[in-house]
Amino acid sequence: MSRGPFEEVVLPYADAAYNLARWLTKNDHDADDVMQEAMLRAYKFYPGLRGEARPWLLAIVRNACWTWLGKNRPAELALVDEPEADTPGPDVLLARELDRRMLNDAIASLPVPFREALVLRELEDLSYKQIAQIAEVPIGTVMSRLARARRLLAEKLSLTTAAPRLRVHK
Amino acid sequence: MKTDDKMLSAYVDGELDATASLELEREMAQNPALRASYERLRQLSAAVREKAEYYPSPTRHKFAPATRSRWLWLAPAFAFALVAGFGLGFFVSQPGEDETTSTEIVASHVRATLANRLVDVVSSDQHTVKPWLSSRLPFSPTVVDLSGDGFSLKGARLDYIGSQPVAALVYQRRQHVIDVFVWPAGKEAVKTAYTRDGFNVQHFARGGMRYWVISDLNKNELDDFAKLLK
Repeated sequence: MSRGPFEEVVLPYADAAYNLARWLTKNDHDADDVMQEAMLRAYKFYPGLRGEARPWLLAIVRNACWTWLGKNRPAELALVDEPEADTPGPDVLLARELDRRMLNDAIASLPVPFREALVLRELEDLSYKQIAQIAEVPIGTVMSRLARARRLLAEKLSLTTAAPRLRVHK
Repeated sequence: MKTDDKMLSAYVDGELDATASLELEREMAQNPALRASYERLRQLSAAVREKAEYYPSPTRHKFAPATRSRWLWLAPAFAFALVAGFGLGFFVSQPGEDETTSTEIVASHVRATLANRLVDVVSSDQHTVKPWLSSRLPFSPTVVDLSGDGFSLKGARLDYIGSQPVAALVYQRRQHVIDVFVWPAGKEAVKTAYTRDGFNVQHFARGGMRYWVISDLNKNELDDFAKLLK
């Protein structure tokens, strides 16, 4: 399959790549370092690219972020408990009432695996299958990580009202 | 069947299959609390999409790293620039290994200077620059402080020359920027010094490393500089 040059095929996704690196490292300086390395790597492995460029690039950036986090902030990668959610989530303010800053802080405070799933889903609009490939986990894990990410977000943003019991048995 | 967060969340994402979706919709029709729960999730998702920051990349990441193939792609543009009389082009016929490397090094130096993207790590302290480089490269280049000799260390950046990542140390003498490219040498290089496109270039090997020094500094002072590195 013939492709155009790296500049035309991969570089249009530099924003997506940087956005992911920025959300995972949580500051510009570190995102910049990771990005530098990831782009070199992408360039080097570009001849081996099959399929879509955006998820491919995001996978490279994601791996670079994890390597970087492992080296610099290993505590953040400590295994997160991923229990089955069996209690209902709390009430959340209506979307339009959510404070932008509060929402961004809440996302930034999510554990890395949840944060990356959320960013890839909501900001990149990737499918569960694509996210599974990027994060190298089964689709079922993507599903539970997203549910957990949203539950944690809801908890952080909640009005702490007692929620009605929502779980349904059939 | 248990309807939980996970299913609702997947339903919000449109990732439930048709059968499961239908079943969930039927369930929601009979269970207002479940319906409300779904509405909240949907709103949360919308809020994230609407209000989460999207960080665009700084421009410097929107260029491909310097390599030979990059310049081949740009060859028509350079040929055009040459013809158009901008005098920007440089032409290499039948490049040998050193010839190609030399082209890449001149290109990298010019590009870094033009784009004012000389250093990724700004520091005049060799003890900051060296670990920064060795944590990003499969080797650890020697970084010396030559400020006592009138060559101040500005920092370093990563580059990509001859299909491998290399260190570029950046020094300054008055207004002249000196790039020192360093990487492990596969074989001993012959020491050379020449002028190319108006830049003085020095090439030598030392301690298992290959060095390419390039600057618009005059040849004598660059010789002095290269001697200090050796």
